[in-house]
Amino acid sequence: MNEPSLTTGPLPYTDTKPVGHADFYMAVNATFRFILDRFGYEKLKDYWRDIGTTYYRPVSENWARGGLPAVADYWRAFFKAEPGAEVEVLELADEVRLEVKVCPVIRHLREHGREIVPCFCQHCFFVNEAMAAPAGLTARVQGGGGRCVQRFMKADASMAPQNLEDIATAS
Amino acid sequence: MIGCYDFCGHYEWTFEWLNKLGGHELVKAYWDEAIHRDSQAHASKLIGEKGFEGMQEYWGPTLADEGAVYERTMTDDVFRIDMHECPSKGFLLRNGLDQYKDYCDHCVGWIGPLMKESGFVIDHEHNHCGQCWWEMRRKDDTTPASEAGALSGHHDVRLRPDWKSPHTDHYERATDPDDKTAFS
Repeated sequence: MNEPSLTTGPLPYTDTKPVGHADFYMAVNATFRFILDRFGYEKLKDYWRDIGTTYYRPVSENWARGGLPAVADYWRAFFKAEPGAEVEVLELADEVRLEVKVCPVIRHLREHGREIVPCFCQHCFFVNEAMAAPAGLTARVQGGGGRCVQRFMKADASMAPQNLEDIATAS
Repeated sequence: MIGCYDFCGHYEWTFEWLNKLGGHELVKAYWDEAIHRDSQAHASKLIGEKGFEGMQEYWGPTLADEGAVYERTMTDDVFRIDMHECPSKGFLLRNGLDQYKDYCDHCVGWIGPLMKESGFVIDHEHNHCGQCWWEMRRKDDTTPASEAGALSGHHDVRLRPDWKSPHTDHYERATDPDDKTAFS
């Protein structure tokens, strides 16, 4: 695949409209279901990791240069462009914490009566971790199903790995 | 999180990821099964039940919400779209994203099977620069595609001075992305 181009702003790819079209969340959910049904959970995890390490590579590069402040800048800009998101981005001493009070994806899928892929919320961990690792960072997710806490901090070998049971099943 | 703001970017990236995993047939299956039958099930229902009226309803708010510059023309026998600024291809062009061989094929990829199931066929051209046109007719209507300007007047995208591109893909009475009949 081609190398994504580098950008200088917090978001790697920008649009002319300020906020995305929420119906695309249905396609994200449908994409996960297609891969899961055809190839299984391990391949779906590969998809999440691959999208994090390749499509979102410019984000990792920004994080590698700018550290945790760049992580906070990214997520503020990111959620500002996601319709219906209610997320607080906290810059703590040694981590960036996203307090997701209303997940825009889960909310939209529920409002439209869509069947949500049960492991949907795990994508946040696997994509986040794939984006964070090349920058020397690591990610953890707790909660899910519409509300969660996502954390980004410097990678530390002594840190316990993500427990996937800490991530709720979506419905 | 994978968001919707840059959806067209990771959507296009996904085409190539699937292409590498299972080739062209897997990409086609994705457009049909994941997009047509799952994500856009509401479009299938609307057009299946209401025909041209359903097309008018679907390709109104949806394209507007995506930020498209387009015109719709509807008669008793045909539904036409002139896309002057495709928000989806435009996003890719502006951001220099070009992973998959022909992103524009995804539209026929999901709309084609939808129209087939609903009893319609498609005449269509896209110029890979963010402009395209579509004419949907009932499958038993053998009327050929309109001449430039005949249906949508000055809104016809083919009248734009920049319509011609190095390669414009052409579909005639199509319902499948492999129905390309000419390259110019």
